[in-house]
Parts: sequence; C-alpha cells; structure tokens
Amino acid sequence: MIRIHNLSKSYGETPALRHLNMEIGRGCIFGLLGPNGAGKTTLLSIINGLTGFQEGEIEIFGLSLAGNIRQIRSRCAFIPQALAFYDNLTVIENLRFFAGIQSIRGAALEQSLDHAISVNRLQHLLDRKSATLSGGEKRRLNIGIGLLNNPEILYFDEPTIGIDPESRNDILTTIRSFREENKTVIYSSHYMEEIEKICDEVAIIHHGRIIRQDSLQDMLQQGGRRSVIIELYHPDPARLSRITGIMPELRLLDEERLMLPSQDSAGIAKLLTLLEEEQIGIRQIRYRARTLESLFINLTSHGEADA
Amino acid sequence: MLRAMLTKEFLLILRDKHALAALFIMPSIFILIMSMALKDTFSSDRAFVSYAVIDQDQTTISHEIASLLRENRTLKEYRQTVRPGKDLQDALNDDLTFAVTIVPGFSASLASEDSTVPLKLDAASDVQQNMLRLFKGELTGILMKLRIKTLLHELDPLLPGIAARTDARLMDQSSLITVQFNGLEESLFPTSTQQSVPSWIVFGMFFIIIPMSTIFISEHRQNTLMRMNGMNISIPALFTGKIVPYMVINQIQVWLMIGVGMFMVPLLGAPALTPGHSVTGIIMVSTGLSLAAIGTSMLIAVSVNSVEQATTIGGILNILFGAIGGVMVPKFFMPEAMQTFSNLSPMSWGLEGFLDLFLRGLGAGAVLTESLALAGFGGLMLLLAAWILARRTGNGL
Repeated sequence: MIRIHNLSKSYGETPALRHLNMEIGRGCIFGLLGPNGAGKTTLLSIINGLTGFQEGEIEIFGLSLAGNIRQIRSRCAFIPQALAFYDNLTVIENLRFFAGIQSIRGAALEQSLDHAISVNRLQHLLDRKSATLSGGEKRRLNIGIGLLNNPEILYFDEPTIGIDPESRNDILTTIRSFREENKTVIYSSHYMEEIEKICDEVAIIHHGRIIRQDSLQDMLQQGGRRSVIIELYHPDPARLSRITGIMPELRLLDEERLMLPSQDSAGIAKLLTLLEEEQIGIRQIRYRARTLESLFINLTSHGEADA
Repeated sequence: MLRAMLTKEFLLILRDKHALAALFIMPSIFILIMSMALKDTFSSDRAFVSYAVIDQDQTTISHEIASLLRENRTLKEYRQTVRPGKDLQDALNDDLTFAVTIVPGFSASLASEDSTVPLKLDAASDVQQNMLRLFKGELTGILMKLRIKTLLHELDPLLPGIAARTDARLMDQSSLITVQFNGLEESLFPTSTQQSVPSWIVFGMFFIIIPMSTIFISEHRQNTLMRMNGMNISIPALFTGKIVPYMVINQIQVWLMIGVGMFMVPLLGAPALTPGHSVTGIIMVSTGLSLAAIGTSMLIAVSVNSVEQATTIGGILNILFGAIGGVMVPKFFMPEAMQTFSNLSPMSWGLEGFLDLFLRGLGAGAVLTESLALAGFGGLMLLLAAWILARRTGNGL
C-alpha cells in the first residue's frame, strides 16, 4: 500500500532522512518509533505532500506521490501532533468546516459526522467551544477531523502527547479499532509502550535512518533482551576494571552501575563471586524484562543508557 | 468548499470582539469626533480673527465702522476695551490680532475730496500676511461703502431719494457675489462631515489588516493551514476564502459609516453627510480599497511570524498610509511636495475617489482610475503574498 524507496531529505546541510526504504501493507498498524528529532515528523510530512524531498520514490495506492498528490491525499488523513482546529469554533462547527472544505455534502456529510463523532465519543461535546475542551477531548476532536473523509490510510503523529493515561488508553483503543475496518495506520511515537500495545509492525528510526524494521513479535523475540542491573556501593575503579576484564560482556553504565546483558544464572553467580572477592558492596540488583524499550535503548544509544 | 470557508471566517470574526470594535465602532466614533471637532473649520460662522476698535473720533461714521466690523461673523471683537499705549501692546501680545484706531478727524477726512487722515491699524507680530491682507480688504470695503454713502447723501438734494434707494444695497454682498462650490448644488457648501467621513471610511477599511492577519497567523500557528493543505486546499482557494468575507465586511463598514455621517452626525449638531449621486462609484472605490487592504493584510500575514508582529506592523502601516495619504491631515493643508508624496499611499487614491463622489459630486466615470489603481495594488500584494506563502511552505500552501 505504501512503498518508500531510497528516500532522502535534508534541511540545508543537515540531513533529516537518509536513504529510507519501507513497505507497509493494507490493514497494518505500523509503528514509527524514534527519539525526538529522529525524522518521524519529516517522514510523515513528506508522505502527506506537506514537505518536499531531494531523492527517492514514494508510491501510495500504487500511485507515485509526485504528480498524484491530490488524488492520494483525498484517500488519506494526517492527524498532526499539534491540535489543528479552531479554538473559537465549537466542536460541531469545526467538524462541519473541515468536512465542507473537502466537499463532503448531503447524506455523505451526515454519515461522516456520525462516524467521526461516535468513534471519538464527541456526542456530548458538540456545542462546546473547542478552547474549553480538556486535553484528551481536544485530542479526540483532532482525530475526529481526520476521519471525516473516511480515509484508507491514517497518519498519526504523536497523538497522545500531553494527555492523561485514561485519555491515552481511549485513543489507543480507537486506533486499534481501525484494524477491524481494514484501515492502514502509520503511528509515530516515542512512547514505546503505546507502540507495543497497538502496532503490528515497527520501524525504529534514528538520525534519519531506519535502524530496525520488523514485526513487533519478531523484534521482541530477536532483539529485546532480558538483563540484570547491579548497583554497587562506592566501588574502587581499579577493582571494578579487574572484574570487567574477566567478564568482558559486562557493561559499565556509570561509576556505580553494571549491566549483565542476560539473566543466565551462571553468569550472575560468577559476577557475584567476583564482586565478593574484590570486596565491592552491592546496593541493589534489578532484573529487566524483555521490552521494546530495552531494544530501543540498545539500538539508539548502543547500550550506554539505562532507561 | 467556499461556503465552508466563508462560514468559518465570519464566525471567527463575529466572535472576536476586539476585531469588531476595530472594524465598526472605532471608525464610527472617529467620524463623530472628527466631524464635531472640525465643525467650525468649515463653517462660515466661525470667528478666526480678533480685533479691537479704538474710537478716538467718536462720530457717526466711526460708530458705523465699529458696527459694520461687528456684523462680520468671521471677526471676533476683543473681549475688553483697549486703550492706546501699553494697554494696546499687552493686548496684541495676548490674543488680539488687529487694533483699528479711528484717529480724530478721520470721519471728516473720509468725507472730504482728498483724504489726508488715514485709519491706523496695529497688528500682532505673528499675524500671517494673508490674514493681514484679508483684514485690510475688509476694512477697505467698509470704508469705501461709507465714503460712497457720504457722497450719495451729498448728492441727495440734487437727486432726491438716491441715498435711500441705494443705502440697503450698498451692504448687501450677495447682490454682488454668489459662491458656487465645485460639484455641489447651488445652496450647498463643503462641511466637516463631507471632509471627515471619506477619510475615516478609508482608514477604517484598512483596519481589517489587524484582524485578518492575526487570524491567518493563528491558523498557521495552530496548524490548521497545514491541515487544510493536507485536505487539498490550494493557495487560490485559501485566498478566495479570505478575500470574499473581508470584502463583505468592508462593504458593511462603508455603508455603516455613510449612515453614521448621514443620520448620527446631525444629532450631535454637525452637518449631515450628502453622499453624492453615484452608488456605483461608491461600490467601485470601496471594492478597490477592499482589495488593497486585503492584499496588504495577506502580505503582512505571510511575512511575519507572530500575532504581535502582525499587530504592530499592521498598526504602523495603517497610520503611515493614513498620515501620508491625507487622512489625518487633509492634503490641501500640505505643501506641494508633500501633496505629491502623498500620492504614494493607496489611502490617498481611495480618499480622492470618495472626495470626488461626496464632495465634488462626480460620478462613477471620475473614480475609475482610482478604483483600478487600488484593485491593481491589491492584486499585486496578493500575488506577492501567494508567492511568499508558497516559498515558505515549500509547496502549494
């Protein structure tokens, strides 16, 4: 449904995307994961024809983006990170305006409004000025506007920023429901637990490159690792370096923290013995589960950070 | 699509109390205030020059001179009696402009064949030469009339009844001169309302710069413009959605302010506006002005980054256009070079158009040039704004 080949984009001398390749199938909920500034928003802007690019090809619905942008846009919706509606209009006025400028009229208009309102549970808010809505309600209106043209592809750019956990769950439930309608969703976020909750496939983007792309399940099985973090009590650096010399798989996270990148009991026992021999006190031992977060941190910071 | 954009724009403006005040209330109040403030400037009843008569002759003729000066309503008799010497000097240093001293023997000299005793005129040191000439002319007129009157009385025994028959006509200026103001009906004369209403209509119309540009910048900052772009709204469609509602607003402004000039200004004692004979002409000039104001607004809106910048630049530009264009100070008060310079302001073109219609009583044909110039200016500004917007956003919107 979406095919991106060798896509590159720079802002002046600064590269934003570098030789990106990606394919996304119909009905897939695709997570675009990356830290701030990784290039997620730039990628979504390019796919939506809001920003140009220097190199590469993009095909959507089998049509090249260049030359078919209006046709492609009419079948897609971009739900931007910012709340893109009018504060001084009511909820229903906003919905009618954005439907009107897309020339949705008559029975189709009523049907679109009903759908956008019911999916986002906006019924009781219709006559409220948008400025007076809560953060979560605003986010739901932002999504509702995107549903008006009954899009086949929905692009979400960090849609849960700045809202409470309950509203976030509501929005994730709504997005998950699009799978039943066979809609394709590209979901950009830096919240890994959200991606884990709703996505079928994930691409991790960092410094404008896709550093990993796979199904969520495969990614967690192959890449996500269990690990052990050991916090030490004022260790002597010379003694600590003797231990890391004996066990090179150990990673020194900082002056007082070690990470053993497995939960193998033999390895843990060996480490505890060495620490005892070197008379280094242990403050705490933590076991970390296999998560997208640990994989993400491994991939984006080469294991130098502990989230 | 256009209907949705128009509805949205109207709702946003109607809910912006500050914009409504700037667009409708502010210019109406300006018209009322300026019409009242300038009421006397265009009135034939206003006294501009103060004078005093020091009558040292004390004759019928000297009394008549004082009496005739008093009849002239453009002259104001000084509030206290002035005596020659220091008293006179102090008064001239104060706000007395002229002192007419009728020296002893003046009346006798006036009636004689060879006048040897002239009237003495003292003037304040800051009096303008043209004012001096006008006052001397007024005095000369009075003295000539009195001399003729004296001669007629001397001739009365030879031509019985001649003095009585001509006496009244001697002082009747209207039997000698009638004044016809260009473009006005015979009995009408230019008033403060005729001068100030066109000025403040033009100024008020350009005030759409502020609400229009601030709404546009808010749309840009709230990403609604980006969203519209994602919904295939092109720059021409976007601009049309802005131009049409603001043209309607400008038309409402124009007719509202004409209504204020016609019906509210007279309630406060100033003369009513007579809006000329050409509705087509008014629509032509106001449409041209609308395009010029909208084009300027859009250019500001796409060139700045914040509402604060738009408000400041829009306000300054409005005042500069107004000051240069003769809105604040009428062009006929300006030096010639400044009058030429004022033609750079589109407000000046619009003002001239309205003055042609309201003050000079001309028709649509007379304002065609101004209307086309304004529309051309507006079109150019819109093209420039579209080009900048396309460059800033990197594509169609």
